[in-house]
Amino acid sequence: MAQKKRYAFVIDPARCIDCRACLVACRAEWNTPPGQTRIWVHTDGPQGTFPNLSQTYVPAQCHHCEDPWCVDACPTGATFKREEDGLVLIDEDACIGCGLCVNACPFQARFRNVQTGKADKCSACFHRVEAGEMPACVATCIGGARLFGDLNDPESTVSQAIRGRAVYRPVTDAVNTQPMTLYLSPPDASAVQVRPTPRDPLVAETFWHAVGLPLVKLAVAGAFAGQAAAFIAQLLKGENEYEDA
Amino acid sequence: MTDQVNDQSPKKHWRLSRRQFFKGAALAGTGVALAKAGVFDLGTAQAQGTTHFLSGPTADYEVRTMCEMCVWRCGVIAKVRDGKIEKLDGNPDHPHSMGNLCARGQSGLMHTYDPDRVLYPLMRVGERGSGRFRRATWDEALDFIADQMIRIRDTYGPEAMIFSSTHNLSQPLFENLLNAYGSPNYGTQRSLCFNAMVLAHLLTLGIQEPARRYDGMNYIILTGRNLFEGISTSESKQLMERIAQGAHVVMLDPRFTKTASKATEWLPIKPGTDLAFHLALINVIIGEELYDHWFVENYTVGFDELTEAVIRYTPRWAGEITGIPEATIYRIAHEFAEAAPFAFAHPGWRTSNFVNSFQTERAVAVLNALIGICPEEGDCIFADERSVALGVPPQPAYPRITALRLDGVPWKYPLVPLKLGVFQEIRDAILTGQPYQARGWFFSRQNPVLSIPDRARTIEAMQRLEFIVSIDTILNDSSWYADVILPEATYLERYDPLHSIGNRVFIRQPVIEPLGESRSALWIYRELGQRLGLGDFFQYLDEEDYIRQQIAPFNVTLEQLKQVGYFDVEVAEERERRWNTPSGKVELASETLRNAGYPAVPVWEAPPEPPPGRFYLLTGKVGQHTQFATQNNAYLTEVDYRTRDLWLHPSAAAERGIADGDRVRVTSDVGEIEVNVWVTEAIRPDCVYLAPGFGHGSRGLKIAYNRGASSSDVHVTYTDPISGGQALTQTFVTVERA
Repeated sequence: MAQKKRYAFVIDPARCIDCRACLVACRAEWNTPPGQTRIWVHTDGPQGTFPNLSQTYVPAQCHHCEDPWCVDACPTGATFKREEDGLVLIDEDACIGCGLCVNACPFQARFRNVQTGKADKCSACFHRVEAGEMPACVATCIGGARLFGDLNDPESTVSQAIRGRAVYRPVTDAVNTQPMTLYLSPPDASAVQVRPTPRDPLVAETFWHAVGLPLVKLAVAGAFAGQAAAFIAQLLKGENEYEDA
Repeated sequence: MTDQVNDQSPKKHWRLSRRQFFKGAALAGTGVALAKAGVFDLGTAQAQGTTHFLSGPTADYEVRTMCEMCVWRCGVIAKVRDGKIEKLDGNPDHPHSMGNLCARGQSGLMHTYDPDRVLYPLMRVGERGSGRFRRATWDEALDFIADQMIRIRDTYGPEAMIFSSTHNLSQPLFENLLNAYGSPNYGTQRSLCFNAMVLAHLLTLGIQEPARRYDGMNYIILTGRNLFEGISTSESKQLMERIAQGAHVVMLDPRFTKTASKATEWLPIKPGTDLAFHLALINVIIGEELYDHWFVENYTVGFDELTEAVIRYTPRWAGEITGIPEATIYRIAHEFAEAAPFAFAHPGWRTSNFVNSFQTERAVAVLNALIGICPEEGDCIFADERSVALGVPPQPAYPRITALRLDGVPWKYPLVPLKLGVFQEIRDAILTGQPYQARGWFFSRQNPVLSIPDRARTIEAMQRLEFIVSIDTILNDSSWYADVILPEATYLERYDPLHSIGNRVFIRQPVIEPLGESRSALWIYRELGQRLGLGDFFQYLDEEDYIRQQIAPFNVTLEQLKQVGYFDVEVAEERERRWNTPSGKVELASETLRNAGYPAVPVWEAPPEPPPGRFYLLTGKVGQHTQFATQNNAYLTEVDYRTRDLWLHPSAAAERGIADGDRVRVTSDVGEIEVNVWVTEAIRPDCVYLAPGFGHGSRGLKIAYNRGASSSDVHVTYTDPISGGQALTQTFVTVERA
């Protein structure tokens, strides 16, 4: 049996030149709607006073956390953490677009796609990874700031990149989802995409878990039962003519 | 924020599926045909669609080709599904991409699927500049162009026809057309870009485009070369690798650019004084004998004259001029020389800044020579990029041309190589009618209305002409004034002549069929040549036949080449270095310059300074756009945030009561613009900065039209008398609340 993979992003902000090739690559790869992006490069702008200035650029995306709050929040199981490699993915067919995962993510890494109405976020371009390629953002990164790979493979680029280096996870004392993005310098940027900020559960969310969800489950079960009954009825009735509209 | 324009317009169309988009594109073309007398109005559509999350995008097949979102020509692997380009990736086999693409390269599919593509030949029906065009057939458009060109040649002589084009692979065929036609008037981007750098290195080293090598480099001086925003993928990548390995990078720039933010030290030098900085480095390196004695003795001429000339250029002297502390200059001179041979001063690229930029470039070339440009014999840090001699179709000799060139080369600019030219002079010659009146202008893949300083003057010049023809993919600001627009297929839809880098030859080949009736430049030039009676200069049947003739000397078939994307040729190693200068050596002192009446060694020339109350207007690239060509690309305009504002220092802003985000009026001697302001510490208080390429005036560009402001409205035309380079930073402006 093959060893399980432990995929992670390793990000070196010192190598990011804010060229935004990753943003366009992600956009082109996934056709996300204009104004909605799966990944970011955060900057607080130049710091200091002329001529003593510094500026950092911090790439970020879904951290594919080991303790993903979005998975806990999802009422339908559409958001799940993949057993074999740890990627957090979304089954769009099961997603009902309720947005609870969007609110649950302390990094604002999720959004509701205005085209599909479903939850959306970085998928680590798993289809490229399965084909032996790097995620689109990583593959095109000129500075080599974005890396991706299997931490369980000592020869992977990520394992080599962090060897002997201090790494920083974007966590706080209050919020630790065990993100699978390892930064090679402290992600000190103020952006929520980099520093986690838990949000108050919405009244709607509380209500949802207490009342709405059981009702939905009931309704789904009811619909299923109805469908099954109709199907059986159809079987009993035999083949019927269909008309093209 | 002005971003709203960008945010909103695409959103309106997000519901369109990709299939609908293609329908939309086709309809858009029909719209042109229908809008016979109406204002040119292409349909708007946005390539949109969704990709199922769990299945991910898939590709039917891949094509290996070359990018053309800028002139660096990265290798591209294009993924295609259902006849549509899905995604572009950098080709790891290509030395210019090394597997990466920049934002512009990644956005390439939106260049092809731009809803504002011109997909059929267009002929003007309204007043010039009114934007009223009708659809024409290729035959009608080409016949009309040929008739006009023949009429101009027979009435005024071929020199009355101006040709211009910017760096591209089919340029040799365009040059074939104009040389065969017999016009000496050829404009390129060169004098707006790198004349100073090229001429200085030709005169010093006999090399026109010095290759930059980064292997092992530990000390790099960047004189305004903003490699992390003026991106050349492989070079930008290599610089970052060196920085990550701890190389010392000195960045000279009045502006805190992204490159400055990654450099070891940023020196916000006073504009136009880089020359003084480099002269002082030379002063220390010669004065303290830090130079490479072996190299200087064996491979250079004019050392004594140089020594004498630079005695007065001390770090103290340069400190006062540049605003960089004397001690810093002195330290850098020592560090630079000690790091040799693993050190170099970057020659820069767009060096059209001041009338002294040629001298700056000479000083850079000389500085590099002094610390030993060839660590070992034949192993030169600066060597011309070698290229393979490809096959060419047979053709007759060009007609002899006797007419003067409108750009003043060589009668006004004796040292400017014919190939470089002085583009901005051609525009002025149209207006003065001197030395003779130009009548027609044929430009291909170029946007002179935005690229030449003083837009109003360029438009005025265009209005003077009898005939203008343009080849382009969209209705850019210059095409807006054309009489005929020929729609070219984009780089993802066509073949171009091959491109060799070192001993490897790359192909650009169609990834998909051209949209609409767009055609390749190879096809267009041949068709025109035949109609002009110049068919002998275009002896190829079609694009593939042209390439077959190019690869005829080599053991490779077109099919193999298309499959792999490149082929390798054995090139003999050239171990012995011969400097291609009159003396055969590196010319620290140049007799060519002396004979032309200029100083033989680099000398200080004080650049003009802004009068009180005015600012230097700086220009410089952003990483998301290429010159004046990509501002209508939907993918790029989504990520070019914070690039269109005027940079202004807080102290200067406070004096004028200007707050961050305010609308301001920028006024120069030739024009004014209104633009949003970014109040930032990242610029000298005596400078403002505006990125080029925004503020398009063509209403045929749905996104780019009127988005931001164009510095070409305010840039004043000044030409360096030695190199012919336009001095783009010599424009001084006032800034006030609008």
